[in-house]
Amino acid sequence: MKDTLTLLSRVSAHPDSRCWFLAWNPSGTLLASCGGDRTIRIWGKDGDNWVCKSVLGEGHQRTVRKVSWSPCGNYLASASFDATTCIWMKKKEEFECITTLEGHENEVKSVAWAPSGSLLATCSRDKSVWVWEVDEEEEYECVSVLNSHTQDVKHVVWHPNQELLASASYDDSVKLYREEEDDWVCCATLEGHTSTVWSLAFDQTGEQLATCSDDKTVRIWRQLGTGEQGSKSDPNWKCVCTLTGYHTRTVYDVNWNHLTGAIATACGDDAVRIFEEDPGSDPLQPTFSLTAHMPRAHTQDVNCVTWHPKEPNLLASCSDDGEMAFWRYQKPE
Amino acid sequence: MAEAHSALWGLVEEFVVGEQDSRSAEVAAGVKDGIFTVLQVVEALGSCLANPEPRSRAKGMQLLSRVLLECYSRLTEKEVEVLVLFYENRLKDHHLITPHVLKGLMALSMCDVLPQGLAVSVLKSVFQEVHVQSLMQIDRHTVYMIITNFMKTREEELKSLGADFTYGFIQVMDGEKDPRNLLVAFHIVQDIITKNYALGPFVEELFEVTSCYFPIDFTPPPNDPHGITREHLIVGLRAVLVSTSRFAEFFLPLLIEKMDSDVQSAKLDSLQTLIACCTVYGQKDLKEFLSGLWSSIRREVFQTASEKIEAEGLAALQALSACLSRSILSPDAEDLLDSFLNSILQDCKHHLCEPDMKLVWPSAKLLQAAAGGSSRACWKVTANVLPLLLEQYNQHAQSSHRRTILEMTLGFLKLQSRWLDEEDDNGLGNLKEALCTMVFSAVTDSSTQLHQVAVRTLTVLAMQQGFLSSSDIDLVVDHLTRLILQETDSESCMAAIEASGTLAKVHPSVFISRMLPQLCANLQTEPMDINLNESRVVPERFIRQRCLEALAAVSTHQSILKETVPILLDYIGRVHNGEGETNAENVVSICRSLHRVAVQCQLDSEALQFYHEIVLPSLLSLTVQAATQDSGTSCNVLLRDDVLTAMVPVITAACTHLTPELASKSVSQVVALFLDGDVSLFSENNLPSNFQPFQVNGPTELQNHLVSLLMAFVCSLPRNVEIPHLRRLLQHLLSLSLSGCSPFAYSSASKCFAGLINKCPQGDLLDDILQVTAQRIDVGLVDEPSRTRAITLLVWVTKALVLRYHPLSGQLTNKMIGLLSDKQLGPSVANMFSLLVSDSPDIINKACHADIRIMFRQRFFTENVPKLVQGFNSANRDDKPNYLKALSHVLNALPKQVLMPELPSLLSLLLEALSCPDKVVQLSTLTCLEPLLQEAPETLKVHIDGLISKLVSLTLSPAMAVRITALKCILALTKLPLHMLLPYKQQVIRALAKPLDDKKRLVRKEAVETRCQWFLLGSPGS
Amino acid sequence: MVGGSQLENANPLIYRRAGERQVTAQEEDEDAPDRIDDREIFDLIRCINDPEHPLTLEELNVVEEIRVKVSDEESTVSVEFTPTIPHCSMATLIGLSIKVKLLRSLPERFKVDVHITPGTHASEHAVNKQLADKERVAAALENSHLLEVVNQCLSGRSSA
Repeated sequence: MKDTLTLLSRVSAHPDSRCWFLAWNPSGTLLASCGGDRTIRIWGKDGDNWVCKSVLGEGHQRTVRKVSWSPCGNYLASASFDATTCIWMKKKEEFECITTLEGHENEVKSVAWAPSGSLLATCSRDKSVWVWEVDEEEEYECVSVLNSHTQDVKHVVWHPNQELLASASYDDSVKLYREEEDDWVCCATLEGHTSTVWSLAFDQTGEQLATCSDDKTVRIWRQLGTGEQGSKSDPNWKCVCTLTGYHTRTVYDVNWNHLTGAIATACGDDAVRIFEEDPGSDPLQPTFSLTAHMPRAHTQDVNCVTWHPKEPNLLASCSDDGEMAFWRYQKPE
Repeated sequence: MAEAHSALWGLVEEFVVGEQDSRSAEVAAGVKDGIFTVLQVVEALGSCLANPEPRSRAKGMQLLSRVLLECYSRLTEKEVEVLVLFYENRLKDHHLITPHVLKGLMALSMCDVLPQGLAVSVLKSVFQEVHVQSLMQIDRHTVYMIITNFMKTREEELKSLGADFTYGFIQVMDGEKDPRNLLVAFHIVQDIITKNYALGPFVEELFEVTSCYFPIDFTPPPNDPHGITREHLIVGLRAVLVSTSRFAEFFLPLLIEKMDSDVQSAKLDSLQTLIACCTVYGQKDLKEFLSGLWSSIRREVFQTASEKIEAEGLAALQALSACLSRSILSPDAEDLLDSFLNSILQDCKHHLCEPDMKLVWPSAKLLQAAAGGSSRACWKVTANVLPLLLEQYNQHAQSSHRRTILEMTLGFLKLQSRWLDEEDDNGLGNLKEALCTMVFSAVTDSSTQLHQVAVRTLTVLAMQQGFLSSSDIDLVVDHLTRLILQETDSESCMAAIEASGTLAKVHPSVFISRMLPQLCANLQTEPMDINLNESRVVPERFIRQRCLEALAAVSTHQSILKETVPILLDYIGRVHNGEGETNAENVVSICRSLHRVAVQCQLDSEALQFYHEIVLPSLLSLTVQAATQDSGTSCNVLLRDDVLTAMVPVITAACTHLTPELASKSVSQVVALFLDGDVSLFSENNLPSNFQPFQVNGPTELQNHLVSLLMAFVCSLPRNVEIPHLRRLLQHLLSLSLSGCSPFAYSSASKCFAGLINKCPQGDLLDDILQVTAQRIDVGLVDEPSRTRAITLLVWVTKALVLRYHPLSGQLTNKMIGLLSDKQLGPSVANMFSLLVSDSPDIINKACHADIRIMFRQRFFTENVPKLVQGFNSANRDDKPNYLKALSHVLNALPKQVLMPELPSLLSLLLEALSCPDKVVQLSTLTCLEPLLQEAPETLKVHIDGLISKLVSLTLSPAMAVRITALKCILALTKLPLHMLLPYKQQVIRALAKPLDDKKRLVRKEAVETRCQWFLLGSPGS
Repeated sequence: MVGGSQLENANPLIYRRAGERQVTAQEEDEDAPDRIDDREIFDLIRCINDPEHPLTLEELNVVEEIRVKVSDEESTVSVEFTPTIPHCSMATLIGLSIKVKLLRSLPERFKVDVHITPGTHASEHAVNKQLADKERVAAALENSHLLEVVNQCLSGRSSA
């Protein structure tokens, strides 16, 4: 496990504040960060260095909790504690806030763009998940308010190639939603975590889902049975693996590398960890091994880890210490 | 005459028509100079005053009134009469004219010659013709001034108006809004009441028209030029509201209502006003409202969110109790105090008994406040509460509960003793047994947490003459002795020592017979004996220390002093003789005790004389013996620097208050001893006569050290005591200063020399010796090894002369400033500037009667800071820190007020000093800056950026004291205006995260406080 | 959350305050490092004011030195606090004040856990979960009303 994770560079992304979240644009040329200083920053590579290309400071009155790029890479959505979601349009180097989505009662905690680019999901402490539709005039319309969770909804992600939405909550559960006869419905509830589920990520096929929690575990869920498109019966998701004993505090984020299949985690014990499925393990009872462990990746809680969409071994992480770090992952022999 | 006449007409014309404002002053000057009379002015204005245009008439009246304001004191009675009638008539004219008419009437109201009856007439006209509240603020003010003037000079006439005057005034002030006018109006109402003007049926109206402002809610506008504060208005209004008990029936319900409001300031004002009312109101005024007042006060004390309100609530209760106690009881009247106290007892007493101690302290505080009102109240409350507390003490077994009960008991007993002077029988007679049982059991309780309170309680009981029996007093002293010798809890032991000091004044003989022998025995015990005694829990070293402290503490009475001082001296004597432990630390402790005793007896001439006659010769005798003995043996403990240094304050304290007779006698003996080895000072004659303390480079070198004791003696005598052989003495000291071997010897000689020079009268002797001194210092400065000695002498002599404004001081100071560039001496000279300007702890200070001119520091500052700054600017880089260090020492010693005006010019230099790598400079500069930081926002504005970054970087200094002081400075910054700080808030908070992890706890503590304070800046709720 | 004028527990038990920590010779020694110990943490929180009473958490026995555990080496702090009554609606606020005070006062390397003393509050689990959720804590501190109350708890009377 020696030297499998190498620090490439460290950048003070949100000084005097915490850095909550990072998002690569689809082509991997830009990285967006957001934080407690109410700003969003866009980073690009200049030689070997990551430099700040622009600061989006005017959109939000409070912490910007998460950001999400549209699949075309021309739009950025940001979720904030000020109860709004902003849509930013990229105009050359600059970004302009073109719409502010209002409706949540309080803090918006996450936002995610569907693979089609015509749907957007947001979630909030008000326990609801909202699905928004974008038309050609760039008008946003709320098409569904999903009140399945009984507590705050912490995170939302879309299936990589289907219109299937997943959400993680303070009520310890994960829920999946799909559209059914012009309305969105909850089609599955994944129970097993014993405390807040902070984040979740699909693998490249969308057949597996990784979730992470305040219970210090990561769980891998697999879609079983008839998960085919158009099927009337709900897909059946089952927890096929629990990674326990590795993390010593809350696991805040999990990210599945769509190029290599490696899983990265961000933990409240300041560490970044990488897990890989053991070669030849049974898909229905897969086993994973810890392949990299960087104990003091940051000086404070690590909030987010995200794999570069094109470069298979480039990982970015960010932390309460306001910094973001770039890592090179070398799979152990 | 005709010329004057036409000049007047000309001036009037120019004023009225030509709008030339300054003409009124010229007219007034003419009247003052007697060129024309006021009536001629009226005549000249004639046509103008009859002009149909009101504006012209106003202009005319303006001129006339201005003239009157200048010249009212020159008017004749006849003129005044005419003018008053004229003016009263003008009040009926157009409203544009009224302001000017009022001004004129104000001038007339100040005339001494105003005929009888006209004041009333003026006021009647004003009340009738003028609607005051529709006037401008300044004109309303004029009306108040007219009334005030009349009240000052025409009180009898005004009173003839009866209640009409009061009513008229009520109408005048009704609706007044301006704070300036309100202050005057409040004053008028207060006078109406206190000077017994008739209120008639208008008491309630007068109350309404003033109480509507209660409680005052006023925030002065920013940059208010009038300087009227909320506090001014509160005091003004309060004086009105408490001025008569006739307001009581209206005011008390209002007070209760405001006490019950949610506004903190209203509560506070109400409680404070109630306290003031209690000095004026009587029983019958309060009667109806007592229960309401009580329940409001009780609620505030039980539930308040602020200590200030709690304190005022308790004070109000005490004031009520005092007020009710004051009234004289008629046989058939109800005793309101009794029933009031009963209701308090009823509401509070049960809380004292609740086993879980709910509300126990608030209740105790309320009862003690009520008891504090009078001896009668105290008697009643304690008679009820003390038996209960005694019973509770026995019912609760837990030490913490018992401690609380005992603490409450102590509070009540203290109140009791406060009233004891007025009442011979303290009313505790029947409780004496139970009280003694409780306290004696507490003082021996297995839990030490009870001991301290028990000791304080015993003290209060034993201080009450004749209350405790002599056997009880014996027992008290025995307990104190036991605690001093055996107690493991050091705080309780300290309490016992303190109590002994207090009680020894009252019961000296008991302490002599019971405590002293025990302390003495413990001091004499050999360490070996103690080791055998295994049961002892307190280490023997501490016991010895405690005995010494206790001996010092009880030496408050001369009869005890005569016992304790010989014990202490005997101990030193035994050390000298090699008996007992030859431990320098013990001797130093004894000297501290002797010093404390000396300070305690300074004002008791008999004790002081005893002290002087015993202690001074003993110490000198012992040390001279030690110094003259065969020097082959190892150095005697008594001659060590630290021991001699500890003896200095003992001798100083014994000498500063000596009578001239005693002092003259001793001084000749002591000087003879040092100059000639004359031992006649000592009674025993077995001393060798080879005492030569000024002899250098011989076998007697150790004797040089005793010059420090000579210094302690001669430098602390009153200035009128003549020192014999002064010239010879000074010459010897000068030689020793410049040639002595050990630093202790030559610096003692320098100090002694300087101490004498400081007090030496002007004249040839002083001039001669100073001339020689200056030369010898110059010679000494040339080469090592004498340079260090010369510089030491220089600094002390400079100090002696700076303090007394001697003309030579400037020259010597310049010499010191010049030496700051000296490669070798520069740094130590820089440090010596601190010695120049700070108070000297041993000699050349006020207590030693030194010649110290007030403001010498300011003068030193003014004369030398520019030189230091200039020296700094021209010095080469290596020497710059020396100048900064010297400068920061000088600034550090200055009072803040002096430094403030200089801050703008010095700030950039101070900031530079902060960047100096020398940590002494850093620390001294920070200490100097800290109190100034919050004072000068304007000056700091330009520097704030650099200041913050320098302070922040110093929080990581290697020196702990620098880190702590830098953090304190950053804390002090939070008092600056918010807008200056907010741009730096995040940066400072982030930077202070590092010192939170400092390895030293004391630094972390400051960092926490400072950082938390910065978090609160501009944050809600701070 | 606050603002009700009626006190929930009008007559709380009042406990004695610990004295100021005595400065030791070691603490004055420049070179000797002083570890962060339980008492130091306790000193940080004992003077926090109760939101309802004019009393400190120490005087109400809400915090006690024995319920403070710190490991300087492992950079962890754990504090248990005891609400005055089992249904105290102020419990979350008190916990938040303790947490905020510690976050502002401790080196950033520390992981701070604040819990209710087991078995002393009806909603123990819910309160603990909220206090442990840093996202909720962060959002709460951006709420000016809550921040005001917390700041008041933290500023109040001096520690002397």
